[in-house]
Amino acid sequence: MSDVLLQVVDLSKVYKDKNYWFNQKCVTALEPLSFDIMAHKTLAIVGETGSGKSTVAKLLVGAELPTTGHIRLNGQTLEPGNFKQRCQHVRMIFQDSGTTLNPSLTIEQLLDEPLRLNTGLDEIERHQLIRETLHKVGLLADHMSFYPHMFSGGQKQRISLARAIILKPQVIILDEALASLDPSLRSQMINLLLDLQQQMGLAFILISHNLGIVRHFSDEMMVLSKGKVLEFGKTADILQKPKHKYTKKLIMSQRFQLLYR
Amino acid sequence: MNLIDIRNMSIELKTGTKPIFAVDRVNLTMKEGEVRGLVGESGSGKSLLAQAIVGVLDEKWRVDADRFHWRGNDLMRLSPAERKAIISKDVAMIFQEPMACLDPTTTIGEQLEEAVDVEQLTGFFWQKRQQRKQAAINLLHKVGIKKHEVCVKSFPHQLTDALCQRVMIAMALARRPMLLIADEPTAAMESTNQGQIFRLLASLNQLKNMSILLISHDLENVTHWTNNITVMYSGQFVEAGTTEQIFNQPYHPYTRALVDSSPKANRMIPNKSRLMTLPGSIPILQHLPIGCRLGPRCPRAQQKCVHAPKIKNFHSHQVSCHFPLKDSYS
Repeated sequence: MSDVLLQVVDLSKVYKDKNYWFNQKCVTALEPLSFDIMAHKTLAIVGETGSGKSTVAKLLVGAELPTTGHIRLNGQTLEPGNFKQRCQHVRMIFQDSGTTLNPSLTIEQLLDEPLRLNTGLDEIERHQLIRETLHKVGLLADHMSFYPHMFSGGQKQRISLARAIILKPQVIILDEALASLDPSLRSQMINLLLDLQQQMGLAFILISHNLGIVRHFSDEMMVLSKGKVLEFGKTADILQKPKHKYTKKLIMSQRFQLLYR
Repeated sequence: MNLIDIRNMSIELKTGTKPIFAVDRVNLTMKEGEVRGLVGESGSGKSLLAQAIVGVLDEKWRVDADRFHWRGNDLMRLSPAERKAIISKDVAMIFQEPMACLDPTTTIGEQLEEAVDVEQLTGFFWQKRQQRKQAAINLLHKVGIKKHEVCVKSFPHQLTDALCQRVMIAMALARRPMLLIADEPTAAMESTNQGQIFRLLASLNQLKNMSILLISHDLENVTHWTNNITVMYSGQFVEAGTTEQIFNQPYHPYTRALVDSSPKANRMIPNKSRLMTLPGSIPILQHLPIGCRLGPRCPRAQQKCVHAPKIKNFHSHQVSCHFPLKDSYS
């Protein structure tokens, strides 16, 4: 339990403006940051838009190449560009599940795709695995032949979750995955995620701006602003005794809504 | 006197076979100078209700109400033209995505000048142009934008979300409305910006005694800013009362679940514990349950719940449930 699952060392990202040869403009999206995550733990990343929190997510799944630094999973370096290795272990759930599911594929075809590309299972085994995964996220086997538009918002989010866990990953990145859900569906989803974390020993990276969820859901949190890490530590400590002015402002802007009731 | 008084308003979608009641007998009353929250999950008909009040629903919908009074005038008896005259004078509405609602091809200044009320301009025709410009700038000052020179010249895409929403509010204020309907004004906004917009609305409410109907899908976001809250579920009236009543002593099982499910509200629950939820999801319009629409998901549902409950009133705390949770607090 004590060994580190995902280790990020000096990860940074600088975007270059390619239009000019002379005095090239550089935009630093992310200054070097390092963190470790254990299995069964959740890291929350908090910040405003443009703070670089989505850049972290993109770098971790490999959608962008890091300028410096490297990512180690179980002590093994994840090569940039080696998606076969990476996508089995690091998966991502996006904010708007309605638009990330291909509307012309049934749920079975949708979930079959990662299996066909990444595993050597035959058709019957794949079918069985899809059935089990759907069951795990609280859907029925009958739903396999449905198309995405036949589901409600909460169920679509469950399908994205099924697509994320079907390869038995170790890290799941939730990029604002809970923001667009209705309150009652959101708490269902949180319960489901917590259950899965217990069963499968997943590590979550939660990107969110709802501090209530962050407080409930995460063990450690990181506050980003303009690509810099302002605070990093245990969630309870930071929320109780924020050190940085920016963190205090962020907490105040959400907490005062209810504290004085 | 009540500013707006709605009894049993139903909004019906005309279909080929049988009509669907998207909003089923909802009550809403607002006093002058009140901030009321209208809370419900997506698909609960809260935006429809707002659109019905403003009167912008198209031919597909049929609005019916036992009573629909605006400051003592019965709006149901008036002709559509007369109703429109009253409503457009006194009611203004702001929408969810300010960026999408502003015209991307004209500058903010031009759009604001368009919204300025002609009757408020006094002077000869050669002075009007200048006055109109001044009125637009004054509107921007009212919503707290100090750098008006930059703002009037810029296009919507050059401003941030919060600034666009301020401009929307400025346009809504142009006719000095008595009621402002804010349909999820801060959805998809940062929490710091959300605070700005809510503070602006609160100050308008206090300084100009403007009533505000604040529509939101999240109970926890609006509680700090509202005096009273009305909760809707799937087109039905659930519960109405003061914010304290709704938040501290909800009588309806649905409101109870809403309050319990928000991790921000219950600061007592331990980290990573399971949250209380209702099973299932919101029914879609084609398959609405009969009677109380919460029925299939309700933990206290009994056989009686296939009939729609009557509204019970406990000291101006209205609840629409056969088995309210009243006893569990005494």
